[in-house]
Amino acid sequence: MVASSADTQDVLMEIRNVDKAFGGVKAVDNVSMDLRAGIITTLVGPNGAGKTTLFNLITGELSKDSGSIKWLGNPINKIKPFQASRAGILRTFQDLRLFNEMSVEDNILTSVENNSVPIPLTKSQRTARREKVEHALNRAGLFSKRKVRAKDLAYAERKFLSMARVMATDARLWLLDEPASGLDPNSYEKFLEILRDEVKQGVTVCIIEHNLDIVIGISDRIAFLDRGKLLADGEPQSILDDPELRAIYFGERT
Amino acid sequence: MEAYLLNLGILISIYSILGVTLNFIMGYAGIYSLAHAVFFGVGAYAGTFMAMHYNASIFVTLPVAMAAGAFLSLILALPALRVRGEYFVAASLGLQVLAVTIFSEWKSVTGGIGGLIGIPPLDVAGFEVFKPSQFIFVTVGALIIILFIINRLVHSSFGRSLRAIRDSESAAAAFGKNVPLIKTISVVISSALTAVAGVLYASYLSFINVESFKLDTSVLIMAMVIIGGTGTQSGPIVGAALLLLLPSLISYMDFLPQTEIGSIQQIIYGLGMALLMIYRPGGIVGRKKQSETGKE
Amino acid sequence: MLALQLTITGLQTGALYALTAVGFSLIFGSTRIFHFAHGATFIIAAYLFYFVNVSGYGMILGAIAATAGAIIFGLLLNRFVYVPIQRDEGSFFTIFVASFGIGIVVQNVIGMVFGRGFVTVQTPLSFSVEIMEGLYVSPLAWISMLCAAISFSLLWYFLKYSQMGKALRALSDNPELVRVFGMNPRFISACAFTIGSILVVPAAIISGATSGLNPAMGHHVMLISLAATIVGGIGSVAGTLMAGLALGLAESLALLYVDSQWTEAVTFAILFLFIIVRPSGLLGRSAAH
Repeated sequence: MVASSADTQDVLMEIRNVDKAFGGVKAVDNVSMDLRAGIITTLVGPNGAGKTTLFNLITGELSKDSGSIKWLGNPINKIKPFQASRAGILRTFQDLRLFNEMSVEDNILTSVENNSVPIPLTKSQRTARREKVEHALNRAGLFSKRKVRAKDLAYAERKFLSMARVMATDARLWLLDEPASGLDPNSYEKFLEILRDEVKQGVTVCIIEHNLDIVIGISDRIAFLDRGKLLADGEPQSILDDPELRAIYFGERT
Repeated sequence: MEAYLLNLGILISIYSILGVTLNFIMGYAGIYSLAHAVFFGVGAYAGTFMAMHYNASIFVTLPVAMAAGAFLSLILALPALRVRGEYFVAASLGLQVLAVTIFSEWKSVTGGIGGLIGIPPLDVAGFEVFKPSQFIFVTVGALIIILFIINRLVHSSFGRSLRAIRDSESAAAAFGKNVPLIKTISVVISSALTAVAGVLYASYLSFINVESFKLDTSVLIMAMVIIGGTGTQSGPIVGAALLLLLPSLISYMDFLPQTEIGSIQQIIYGLGMALLMIYRPGGIVGRKKQSETGKE
Repeated sequence: MLALQLTITGLQTGALYALTAVGFSLIFGSTRIFHFAHGATFIIAAYLFYFVNVSGYGMILGAIAATAGAIIFGLLLNRFVYVPIQRDEGSFFTIFVASFGIGIVVQNVIGMVFGRGFVTVQTPLSFSVEIMEGLYVSPLAWISMLCAAISFSLLWYFLKYSQMGKALRALSDNPELVRVFGMNPRFISACAFTIGSILVVPAAIISGATSGLNPAMGHHVMLISLAATIVGGIGSVAGTLMAGLALGLAESLALLYVDSQWTEAVTFAILFLFIIVRPSGLLGRSAAH
């Protein structure tokens, strides 16, 4: 991505003055930012900076204390998680939350099915579903393990399954909570390849990531959060070069 | 001896229906209900009411009983399933307590604490079934049909949604599952099928009273499911058979005080539930603990 | 006058409900352990007091035995049932089922030992005194309220000022905080069980002298505790306290309008009303997940 083009890209999601406090502690403090179409925005910041909370506020997992969020121009302030998903916003969880007792294939199948009422699907729906699932299985390299229970997978495979659940859907925005943490170099390369491919095909991604090497490797844009506040939001280089931000970031590590 | 075995077989199949229907919500949707005996009772009373006052045909008693069970469960499920799992346990416990009061007080329908006697036999398309040797075919048949229905549901996309909700409610919601709606539908289906067991039970015994539909029964059904194997197909049936055989097994053990058989039975399954949760949460039929199967 | 009479009876019942309910609420709030056997703690304490008292060792020894029994039961259950399950996966329902099973065992063992009928602790304190024309109050009513007041003051002081109390409160607010405090979570949960179990003891003892005991009471105690925890707001000790009092009052005042067999229905109706209208409870935070 060319740096200067970022500002002209369509804004998919508009976050304005969002607040969330837990028992007096502000987890997200007056955050305003945009998620632009077709790029990877990375949320960076020390533990407890409010990154995951921000995801939870976007998908309606938590309710905001105040502020507003617009998706494709429409306010989604009272949205519930299942509605966010149907509107095209999908997420992964830091602790994965796979459907552990179910097979890999069923995990992915479940994520592409949206029906609540027990009514059989039509044949064309079945075929379409099957294709999506197979595509995701292949991309994530899990085709040979499709019958294995999710809880019996190795760590990296579990992470890829959590990605595959998102990949199989038609979601426009992916919110990925530390998808690369703990991956070995090979798996990491594969993950990066998938991500770049999908972005090329029009998916917009927002990632929470700790590892600075990874952050540099993937980000088109970085948003830096600390104690609930958005300290900076801009080009990767300008953020990573900022001595104050570096101090906050590395200060927490020592 | 034959009469004894037939009687046991009929009771096992009726309790298997109760176990299978509870397992449907407990094992696949993760909804723990302490009010299963209420829907059993509602089915029994509603079916009996129709049989005694209008028509004993199963094409009348069964639909009415199922509708009554479904309707009542909707009242419980609609509010209680919008919130966390703990609320459903609390609300169902409350409903169970309340239902026992209503069963004992609503004398015009339930006959009060004395219960109802002289319940007409099952009328299956004009054929009256009351001999145990015939009745067992009806109960086993009903069990097979219910097993078939639940099996179909569990292996459909609806069943996948249920299992997804059980494994991770938040992830299921994040992937577009309308969790409260799906849970409510599953509770309604389960309760309607439970009511079938009530109809069969009432016309088999031709006598019912509130004693059969108390908290103890809800607990017994839950124990059957858990001990047999939550979320497995055959678990609830194994559990029902085992726990119904337990009293006769105990009565063979002379060293146990025979007046306390009821208590000993409850102690055994109470202890069974606790130990299984620690050592083998999957139950007798279910999978062993992950650590024991030697993962990786 | 009847209304006043029922209000005082209601406060007496409510004070006892509040004690048991706060015990459950504190344990559930800070450890997320759905301690269904809390009702069993109640009947263990009540029958121990009854037994020591009937055996002629007096009330003080009875109270000591009841307290010790409650604490030991709570701690053993935590150590040998909940900790092993939690170490493994700790799903709410697995713990609930195990706890529930233990509750059944306790109820039946006590039923076998002491019989399944009602037993009552005899004390001169349960005789009602006419304190105004037509208003009869037994000294136990005042004792119940006093006991509750003292217990809650101590609890409040503990939660407010001690390090452990602060940790418990913070955990009720946000269960993921354990590590932030750098305290051993095992030790914290043992403390929660000790305090939660102690709170049951006065209620159990006084119930033995007022309403009498039977082994099946545990379920009733549990229903009240659960209802008060939900009505008060999960995670809120103060809310549970208020809800316990309110449930006792409501149950008693309902007698103005309905027969006594419907009193449990009143509890259930209030619980349901709250689940529908205000699922977060009186003082609780968000109830949705």
